[in-house]
Amino acid sequence: MKRRQYLATVGGAAGIGLSGCIASPGSSGSDEGTLTVATYDSFVESQSSLDAPATWLKDRFESEHEDVTIEWTNPDSGLNHYVQRAREGVEFDADVYLGVNVDDLIRADEQLEDSLFQDLDRGSVGNADSVKSELEFDPEGRLLPYDTGYISLVYDEGEVSGPETFDQLLDPAYEGTLLAQNAQQSDPGQAFLLWTINQFGEDGYLDYWRDLQDNDVRILGSWWDSYSAYSEGERPMVVSYSTDQVYANRDGLDMSRHQLGFLEDQGYANPEGMGVFADSERSELAHEFFDFVLSPAAQGQIATLNVQFPATTDADLNEEFDQYAHEPPETVFYGYEDLQGNLDGWVEDWAREIAG
Amino acid sequence: MASRGGALITATRGARRWLLRRSLSLATGVAVAVLAVVFVFPAAIVFAEAVLVDGTLSAAPIRGVLTDPFYVGALAEIFARPLAVGEHLRGLAGWARSGFPVPTFGLIGFTAYQALLSTVASVALGLPGAYVLARFEFPGRDLLRSLTILPFVLPGIMVAVGFFAMFSAGGPFNRLLGLVGLGPIDILFSLEVILLAHAFYNAPLVARLATAAWESVDARTVETARSLGASRRRAFLDVIVPQIAPAVLAGAVLTFVFTFRTFPIVLALGGLELATVEVWIYSRIRQLDLAGAAALAVVETAIAVAVLAIYLRFEARRYGAGRTPTPSERTPLVPSLRALVQPSRLAILAYGLVVAVVFVGPIASMIVESITGPSGLTLRYYAFLIDRQAEGAAFQVKPWPAVRNSLLFAGATLAIAVPTGVVVAVRRVRGGRGGVLLDALATAPLAVSGIVLGVGLLRGLVFGVPLPGGFRLQVTGVAAIVAAHAAAAYPFVVRNAAPAVGGVDRSLVESARSLGASRARALLDVELPLAIAGVVAGAAFAAAISIGEFNSTVILAEGGDAYTMPVAVERYLGDRTLGPATAMGTVLLAVTSASFVVIERVGGRY
Repeated sequence: MKRRQYLATVGGAAGIGLSGCIASPGSSGSDEGTLTVATYDSFVESQSSLDAPATWLKDRFESEHEDVTIEWTNPDSGLNHYVQRAREGVEFDADVYLGVNVDDLIRADEQLEDSLFQDLDRGSVGNADSVKSELEFDPEGRLLPYDTGYISLVYDEGEVSGPETFDQLLDPAYEGTLLAQNAQQSDPGQAFLLWTINQFGEDGYLDYWRDLQDNDVRILGSWWDSYSAYSEGERPMVVSYSTDQVYANRDGLDMSRHQLGFLEDQGYANPEGMGVFADSERSELAHEFFDFVLSPAAQGQIATLNVQFPATTDADLNEEFDQYAHEPPETVFYGYEDLQGNLDGWVEDWAREIAG
Repeated sequence: MASRGGALITATRGARRWLLRRSLSLATGVAVAVLAVVFVFPAAIVFAEAVLVDGTLSAAPIRGVLTDPFYVGALAEIFARPLAVGEHLRGLAGWARSGFPVPTFGLIGFTAYQALLSTVASVALGLPGAYVLARFEFPGRDLLRSLTILPFVLPGIMVAVGFFAMFSAGGPFNRLLGLVGLGPIDILFSLEVILLAHAFYNAPLVARLATAAWESVDARTVETARSLGASRRRAFLDVIVPQIAPAVLAGAVLTFVFTFRTFPIVLALGGLELATVEVWIYSRIRQLDLAGAAALAVVETAIAVAVLAIYLRFEARRYGAGRTPTPSERTPLVPSLRALVQPSRLAILAYGLVVAVVFVGPIASMIVESITGPSGLTLRYYAFLIDRQAEGAAFQVKPWPAVRNSLLFAGATLAIAVPTGVVVAVRRVRGGRGGVLLDALATAPLAVSGIVLGVGLLRGLVFGVPLPGGFRLQVTGVAAIVAAHAAAAYPFVVRNAAPAVGGVDRSLVESARSLGASRARALLDVELPLAIAGVVAGAAFAAAISIGEFNSTVILAEGGDAYTMPVAVERYLGDRTLGPATAMGTVLLAVTSASFVVIERVGGRY
């Protein structure tokens, strides 16, 4: 997969050239045993004294497989980067993508005639048997879930009492308290929107949001925008993840500002999957890597380092995670078939309702 | 031997003379080539999507935008049936009968509205700054002037963090108000705070452009007016205002165009209710609906280009006044303690307070975040940066390469954009129609959505152009990044340099030419030294643009090692703490400040 490149310098008039490079088609000859894994930024960057999940996975897998090298890459536009390349017929040198959401997969399938991912041989991924079946989101089984988050509310109990239902959020007591995110650009924002669609139906969710707007909800851009505003004490409630207390505990923060609100005793699941790109010639190695990622030890480490719930039933979770990461009593999740052909319209109608 | 040596010297001299003679054309060629590769070509790739449906020309995508009330409000009817004049007139009459309710013009209308208000706010906040910097002498004036454009390089999320901290209910702003018995005022999540954030970015631009113009106001013209009996106020209105108006207008137009395509800051500080066109373009791009994004971008760009075009036509009539200015002496800001109670000094003091709240406050708040941990003061986030530098894995972003790359790219951007930008400015001022076209080309990148241009760069340069035999011509990496930065910097170099060059007495250039100097020699020896203030200001902007650039940098770096400081700031977000990102943001501020000071010092020695 790794393409040979011929470098040429087109002399620039000011003495600084544009380096044009000409990539040849389909030439192989890659290093033996290098698996290039593409993922999102926070999987490779760690902001604390702990390892990044990527670092741990690489070190451990390489120590168990002598002639194997794991290379990480994190393009700015995520999976879209590879969808666009595939659509334009431009090669890329990643073998595996780690961090596919169900909406990413739907988009990839809509945009491309041939699947972006190859079929998995699940028989060769022994640990796949322990993946929780409710997290599977690819009807064709090309992707394996490796972790999941649950979207919930995080609130400051010194300022508000925990809301229990969606309707309560319309009460005067919650006026001007909630921060959410733009579903056009943010995963938790989109999950919260889908959660309201699950609650009020396709015909009722916009009415609910109108009422929420009347009660002065604020829909900021990214999760970061809203969580920063929450951290500065600007509002006492934010749409976030149910692992919030793990971070709060690590930083020794006041837990009263990190209470979880599972509306209707629910949380919206956001499973992340991994798959092998269709053109990868490292299929066998990729399957081995996936088996490793789903092993009890790796699942425990992903939970600790990526601060997400394991996708398997037999992960070695540490005590901290057990104590501070909370699973909702009931899980809400729209699968592939529910979202296909609907999602973009739902989000667009919603965004127009808010901005219009 | 001697004759061969002599021939060599003659040949070398000949070559040098040829180079010098051709240097203007050469510089123009570089500017055009840079713009063609990293701007015109990528933009064309995306815009083509707006007018091509399945390979044939179609007005449908753009028509779709113009006839959608969500985008254009009351104008949708008119665009839908432009020929139904009678009906539209009846509609207008009905509107009049119902007492002229305020019509809405949709997402695009709101985008223009907030840009207009942002422009007013930026001019209102920037102009007094120019006055103070140009007319008064005080310790640290040079440094302050150098640092005015610092906000330019700050990533949106850092500005948001600064604003959240500064203006939150319990933040310094409200505590300050509390001291004088006012407040608290909650301005977050409102149009007002967006305007303030836009002014944070753009008032320095207005101030910087106006300062340069104010500093080159010819003192003799003011003296003449005064000696002819004009009052101080009359002299100001009749003599000074006309001389600084073009610069203020330039700043205002740039601000409008900039804030017209504003992105992350609107959603971070205001929210989706206050969304702009760019928010929808971004959403379309994320959905990989390129045609939808392109159609919106075409309309957005058309409006911005129209504003720029009107301005450029207006500006063309103002050049060539041709004076060699005798700058006014600056008066001391604090001549005596008693002077402090004069109305003018009190007004400046009040303005200083506003500056402290709007500009210094958010930046200082961001720095404070970088040294504040969960349990008080800490240096752990800086320790994190050092740790990451020492022990980070090869695939992780490290601070030093980010600093080094930023400086390297900024230096290279200066090397390309300043000389060629100055030549474009000269052609613009002295060169008739060709100069106007060149200037328009160099200014156009400002009018195009950064997100859209990013997609064009990805598809046109990173993916490359297919060549026979299955090969592809790709342009990525360092050189492409520098070219993209240079293209983004041109508008600022040209806008800063053109008035300064235009202010140089044309007869001086002509005398130099008649004494045998080449055009390039005259530029180097006559115009440049006289216009140096504008050129240095342009250079500072070019550096700021390069250091602050994000979109094209990440796309052209292609996941390689060519990341810069703003990219590092973005990558260090992701955990629950603001610490590492704000620490990197503080490094970005420090490095940028130092480079501004260096640019001004080096430029000042001319």
